[in-house]
Amino acid sequence: MNRKHKVLIANRGEIAVRIMQACKKLGLEFVSVYTAEDVSSGHVALARELGGEKSLYRISSYHDANELLCIADEAGATAVHPGYGFFAEDFRFARRVTERERSLVFIGPSWRVIRDLGDKINTKRLARSIGVPTVPGSDRPIYDELEAEKVARTLFEYQLQQGIARPLVLVKASAGGGGMGIEEVYDIDTFRQVYRRIRNYAMRQFKDEGVLIEQRVTDFNHLEVQVLSDRSGRNPVHFGTRNCSIQSTGRQKRLEVAPGFDPSSIEYGFDAAAVLDEITQHSLNMARKVGYDSVGTWEWIVTRDGHPFLMEVNTRIQVENGVSAAISRVKGQEVDLIAEQIRTGLGDALGYTQDDITFHGVGVEYRIIAEDPDSGFAPWVGDIDRFQWEERDWCRLHTHVPSASPEKPYTIPTEFDPNLALGIIWGRDLAEVSANGLDFLEHLVLEGHNGKGEPLKSNVEFLKKKTERMLRF
Amino acid sequence: MRDIAEVLEALKAEPYTEKEVCAPHSGVITFTDIAEGAKVHGFTGMWKEIPGTHIATITREKNPRKVLANERGVMQKVYRELDGTFVESGTPLGVIRHYLTRQEVVSRLLKESLYAFCAPERAKYYFTPDIDTKVKMLGCRTVTIHDGMELFIVSRMKREVPLCYSGPTGIIYDVYFDQQKNVDAGAPLIVVCPPDQQSAVEDVVARVQSEWVEGE
Repeated sequence: MNRKHKVLIANRGEIAVRIMQACKKLGLEFVSVYTAEDVSSGHVALARELGGEKSLYRISSYHDANELLCIADEAGATAVHPGYGFFAEDFRFARRVTERERSLVFIGPSWRVIRDLGDKINTKRLARSIGVPTVPGSDRPIYDELEAEKVARTLFEYQLQQGIARPLVLVKASAGGGGMGIEEVYDIDTFRQVYRRIRNYAMRQFKDEGVLIEQRVTDFNHLEVQVLSDRSGRNPVHFGTRNCSIQSTGRQKRLEVAPGFDPSSIEYGFDAAAVLDEITQHSLNMARKVGYDSVGTWEWIVTRDGHPFLMEVNTRIQVENGVSAAISRVKGQEVDLIAEQIRTGLGDALGYTQDDITFHGVGVEYRIIAEDPDSGFAPWVGDIDRFQWEERDWCRLHTHVPSASPEKPYTIPTEFDPNLALGIIWGRDLAEVSANGLDFLEHLVLEGHNGKGEPLKSNVEFLKKKTERMLRF
Repeated sequence: MRDIAEVLEALKAEPYTEKEVCAPHSGVITFTDIAEGAKVHGFTGMWKEIPGTHIATITREKNPRKVLANERGVMQKVYRELDGTFVESGTPLGVIRHYLTRQEVVSRLLKESLYAFCAPERAKYYFTPDIDTKVKMLGCRTVTIHDGMELFIVSRMKREVPLCYSGPTGIIYDVYFDQQKNVDAGAPLIVVCPPDQQSAVEDVVARVQSEWVEGE
């Protein structure tokens, strides 16, 4: 790998911190950006510490591509890492980065791959074309209310024919993602109301009114397959599966476990190992088919009777990459998927095959968030006075929250999600990782207050409760 | 609610505001030949279609963007030493002293004297779709609201929740929020004029029209 590369980190918070650390590990220079709201974020402090003032630029918005590329030119960056969110899955941005006069390397999949797989609808069509099972429903965005209602009616009838006593239909903003802009319809008579609400939401948030209508599969586990490939796109490998079924009411992941099922300690009503193998092979086949050339995640739902359906492909590094890395070894060595993404993104060959990757133990990732689980996981905004945890061999904590004290609190910016940290715990088996996880959460100190003097609310207690039932239907 | 006379006297004592003109984003800045002391104007016209005075040009990615005065007033300072350099977003480029217009004085007085419905938390606010259409098509003063009416959508951290209006029945007299920008907790979103205060409001407007002398 050419170590003369300089990477523009077009993101903030925890992922910006992780990318900086990965660049340092690889001996690469970086340049970081921040907005006025993030001035006291840990990623700004770390950029100053590792790269000095010259590695840091204030921008008006993380969404302004012109500005980011202007910073890249000014700072002499040669590559852009989009992190997750913002431009990570924007094929136009990726294309522009690589095809401009002063071209840069986009550390992510090539723009054609993002275009083909980044769109739920394209993905669904592609998956269907190569025999990968997908959720029944529309395979193109619907803009017409009558047509949408017709599709919904057909799906209700289909489910009744299948013997489903309480059929449900999902209305999704086609341009949405991350669980946003999705609602269930229980009764066809209320369909139009829900459809209009989602269409208006989609217009406000994504500037696209298109919606997807599909069957709401109930009683399922949400699984993911972590894929990595180098720029050749010919030799994708996987870093196992993850189970992301524990989510907030807004379908936001809160706790992820790797591997996706644990047949050694839990009895499933189907052959769990075979299902994991099936979704992994489907994911790799699809990756080969499109010439996938970076890290990516194939998202699946697996029903209680063991039927998998592909939901979508996330053409980016995901928040939960750390938990897959925690259980994986490459040629016996620990792996950092962000560093691997950067290394291969800058042109290095993968350098290993699936046979060189081994899996050990069980990992769990806790997303520690300032929110109120008792009020529908409403985001909590205020100051953090104390945030401490115990250092252990089996625990890693990634955060952008700087060290805070009652005298010098950290104010959570309201412009972004109140994600505070990712706690990644490892154990030899499910019982050990559960015990370690509870120990970690028990010793976590997270205190703060809002403008009214009320104490900080977080999801720590929710995570404790859910730890006891990880990986179960 | 404060005494209107008191507010008016305070405004008369300092009939202007000083606002920095900042770089809207990062880029290379090139000033025009505007000098300190020059008169500038902000966006004007019925639809604000006439741009303000051109102060500088900021270029990023070969996209030049004019930095325009957003207020009418006098250029107090121009940071000409930045000419030709790369500046980060938010870097001050100059200062405009803006003398309050009669309309702005009325608006400030109404904010103090009418019932102001304030933002309960820092977030982006939208009118509900039907109210939004009415406000856009016919103007806010055609909308009558009452206690308990679902009036806003609060958008914060990608979550949207409805917000009901609480306060006296009346017309929306003025709107103080921009749908694209976050509103701080406690900042007024709208002011509401109950029917029995209509005459008082008209008095305020008449008083400002006769007493207020507009500056430069």
